[in-house]
Amino acid sequence: MAIQQFLDQLQQLTESATAAFQQAGSLDDLEATRIDFLGSKQGQLKSLQKQMGSVDREDKPAAGKQFNATKQAVEAALEEAQQRLSGNSQERSADPSFDATLPGSPLVVGHLHPLTQTIEELKDIMGRLGFSVADGPEIEDAWHNFEALNIPAAHPARDPLDNFYLATSQKSQPADAPLLLRSQTSTVQIRVMESTPPPIRIISLGRVYRPDTADATHYPMFHQMEGLLIDEKVTMADLKSVLRLFATSYLGEEVHIRFRPSFFPFTEPSVEVDFHWNDQWIEFGGAGMVDPNVLTSVGYDPEVVSGFAFGLGVERLCMRRHGVMDIREFYKNDVRFLHQF
Amino acid sequence: MLVSWNWLKQYVDLGMTQAELEDRFSMSGLNHEGTRPVGDDLAIELEVPSNRPDCLGHIGVAREVSVLYDQPLKLPAADPASGSDSAADYVQLRLEAQQLCPHYTARIIRGVKVQASPAWLVDLLATIFRPINHDWAPVNNIVDITNYVLMEVGQPLHAFDLAKVQGGQVIVREAQAEETFVAIDHNEYTLAAGMCVIGDTNRAIALGGVMGGADSEVSSQTSDLLIEAARFDPLATRTTARALGLHSPSSFRFERGVDPLGVDWASRRCCQLILEIAGGEMAEGIVEAGAAGQSSEPVVLRLAQLERILGIHIPADEVARILTTLGCLIQESNSESIELTAPSWRGDLSREIDLVEDLARVHGYDKIPEDVGVPMASSQRTDRDRVQDRLRQALVSAGFDEAITASMVPADWPGEFMAWTERQPIRSNTPMLKGADTLRTSLVPSLLEARRVNQSLANPLIELFETASIYLPSDDQLPRQQWTLALASGQGYFAVKGLLESLLAALKISQETELKPVDLPLLDISRSAELWLDGERLGLLGDVCQAGCDTFSLRGETTILELNIELLARLAELVPQHKPTSAYPSISRDLNVIVAESVRWSQLQQLVAATSGDQLEHLLYRETYRDVERDGENTKRILFTIVLRSDEGTMTGQQADELRDAAVAQIEQQLEGRLLAT
Repeated sequence: MAIQQFLDQLQQLTESATAAFQQAGSLDDLEATRIDFLGSKQGQLKSLQKQMGSVDREDKPAAGKQFNATKQAVEAALEEAQQRLSGNSQERSADPSFDATLPGSPLVVGHLHPLTQTIEELKDIMGRLGFSVADGPEIEDAWHNFEALNIPAAHPARDPLDNFYLATSQKSQPADAPLLLRSQTSTVQIRVMESTPPPIRIISLGRVYRPDTADATHYPMFHQMEGLLIDEKVTMADLKSVLRLFATSYLGEEVHIRFRPSFFPFTEPSVEVDFHWNDQWIEFGGAGMVDPNVLTSVGYDPEVVSGFAFGLGVERLCMRRHGVMDIREFYKNDVRFLHQF
Repeated sequence: MLVSWNWLKQYVDLGMTQAELEDRFSMSGLNHEGTRPVGDDLAIELEVPSNRPDCLGHIGVAREVSVLYDQPLKLPAADPASGSDSAADYVQLRLEAQQLCPHYTARIIRGVKVQASPAWLVDLLATIFRPINHDWAPVNNIVDITNYVLMEVGQPLHAFDLAKVQGGQVIVREAQAEETFVAIDHNEYTLAAGMCVIGDTNRAIALGGVMGGADSEVSSQTSDLLIEAARFDPLATRTTARALGLHSPSSFRFERGVDPLGVDWASRRCCQLILEIAGGEMAEGIVEAGAAGQSSEPVVLRLAQLERILGIHIPADEVARILTTLGCLIQESNSESIELTAPSWRGDLSREIDLVEDLARVHGYDKIPEDVGVPMASSQRTDRDRVQDRLRQALVSAGFDEAITASMVPADWPGEFMAWTERQPIRSNTPMLKGADTLRTSLVPSLLEARRVNQSLANPLIELFETASIYLPSDDQLPRQQWTLALASGQGYFAVKGLLESLLAALKISQETELKPVDLPLLDISRSAELWLDGERLGLLGDVCQAGCDTFSLRGETTILELNIELLARLAELVPQHKPTSAYPSISRDLNVIVAESVRWSQLQQLVAATSGDQLEHLLYRETYRDVERDGENTKRILFTIVLRSDEGTMTGQQADELRDAAVAQIEQQLEGRLLAT
């Protein structure tokens, strides 16, 4: 018998035995297959071993070597199948070279800025209370930032030292009516009311600007959220109730609120709002009933509709929530800071 | 405003505890900021809102107590006796600047004895001045009395030494440019137009509403006095005080507006105290120019408005009590409305809504319920928010941290990166932070600066993005404010380009991005491109060149991407529509083509896409390499894979080969390339 023929038979046996063991669906199945290939009397391997006698003498070492390799491969396939079918019936020993405590290969995931996270939460809560987000420009004219908000020309709030007035840049901009960076997001309320009939239920969020010297609690740019609800028969009790719902949602437990009198040009009555939480009163922001002059300036009839507005500083809320002690941290953008949120 | 407990109780009974009163103040509009003991007295610090200058004196605060606790208010006397000679005999008054000083009055007292003030007066003043200025000391009885009346009723007063008023004339005028003046603080100030000067025939003797002059002040030698009580314009006073950095209790009150009818009362009160304490004789009459203000116009309060605005009912008799105690004169009232005139010291009560507010704060905001049923309403998320959310989520998933940087930047930054406009950026008259007075026209320089800061801290991984407005000058009324996304990465051009592709995929934008060459000083000229989408400029992508890195002191490779979010929002498919998927398997073919160095991948891509049609599922770039020895100069080999799939049946190898061969034929024909191997 030619050596090549014998080797081919061995190869075929390896393939068919491996395939058969892999396909065995049960231990009984496997046992039948084992007898078929490895049976000590009638097994296919046994019969091939018998044929080795007819291989040429000088080819015998090679044939024997290949036979042993085949036998090992078939037995390995059997063992693998046995393990597969019997679960963990085989004895197990830990591989000492595998250190399961080595660090994993982490997925590098970035972080949203904590102010963004706070803003998104505010939007989310107010959205559930029926307030949609309205956007408006950060660069504003005096009408939307002051006039329409009941802040007349001589009002101290319009002082050049307290605002970022812009050098004339727009062709259509008269020199005596400079544009400025908005000092409050209430400007958006005016724009929405000018273009939309009541009822209105919006929040506006975004950057506002006031020339403060940067320190631990001030920054010349910060974020505000302002809410506005205009409809027939809106009262201060509605304002208090909406703010209580907001606070309870934000803080996750029943919260009471109180009003302290305050003064803002665009609301009357005007109040400071405090939350009672963890046995102390926490300042939330300003609020009030929209001043009739503001309603008139946007073309609403203050005898027909009424409404409330409220505003809060996002940074302050975020600082309190996350224990940030210095507002300047928000704008340094040190990745070690950003990674904490 | 610091309030003395002992002083306050002269005008109203204080039967309540200190803590109770403080809390009540806070809840009714005078926020309690703290209390300090001074001697046997208490200094209670209250924050007085800018619309309540009436509470910048003890009587005003006492009136609040009186209305809050329903206690009578006891006002002091202000009826000084006068002698037979007339004030007009001693001084002539000329008011030349009525726009700066609507009302000026002077009284004359002769023969006073200037000496130390009595202990009761010193003690009361010490209670409210010492907590602010530890070294405060009384001056003399005359000056102390003017300060006392100032803090009693909120009307500033000034006592001149009559002998120092030269020429017997008081002239109220606008300051001349460059005029100088030495104030009581012994500093010299250079005045300017728009400032109000009290002068005699020779010089300025006081800066109206702000501070008296050093050489007309009352001293131990003084015997005759001119007592000024006047009303100065709020805005002019404010401008003057700010311009000179000279803020005084007087300017603080004039800025907010004094009682337009209270000038004379304060003058009489002051003179009465001087006569009582320092002796002397007051001349008959008053020297006066300008006019006291008008009393307020009547206001009608409809009682139904209270419930309409506040959501609570306040009984009519309580309404009447509060308004009367506050000093309102009720002219007419019936079951539906009250017509009244507000007191002159309450300039803030000119409209019905003002009365609603005052009634609410006195009656108590705690009476307003916090649990009424507010009607439900729908709310919508804006597309801008949806798009921004998807972009942020994709970027965070790609390992980027979100930065928030300032909207104003140093003037030279935009010049480094004029990507979106040719026009000069908008500048502010006031810088936001040191040197940053320019509204940014790109977010990129800000992110490069943030990258530099992180590099200086040796932070290992600095991948930052930001979404914010940029400000582009335009011909419209307002500048164009473009919502923009930018990022700065250390991962290199192709990683960032791949990220761009992922961002577009996240928004389901299927249009191809077109890349055009761009030449910006900040960017490497080869490794940068302007991005165009749907015929509009989408943004920029590129590696920062060495010069750019030097400008921003950056180490190592930096790649930037900046995109117009508004364009992305227009093209985004926020509600993707289902397309049936083929039931048959795909088949792929690898190609290795030799093309000239100048051939761009985008050309190959277009050709292959055009020849393979709908059956091309993916075109996967593998690699480029060069073999000059075999292929010659200026050639390169591009390896890529086409993945093909048919909707109609399993694509056979033969069909795939045909599509591949068709593509190769086009590559040969149009790009003069050839297939090296498959």
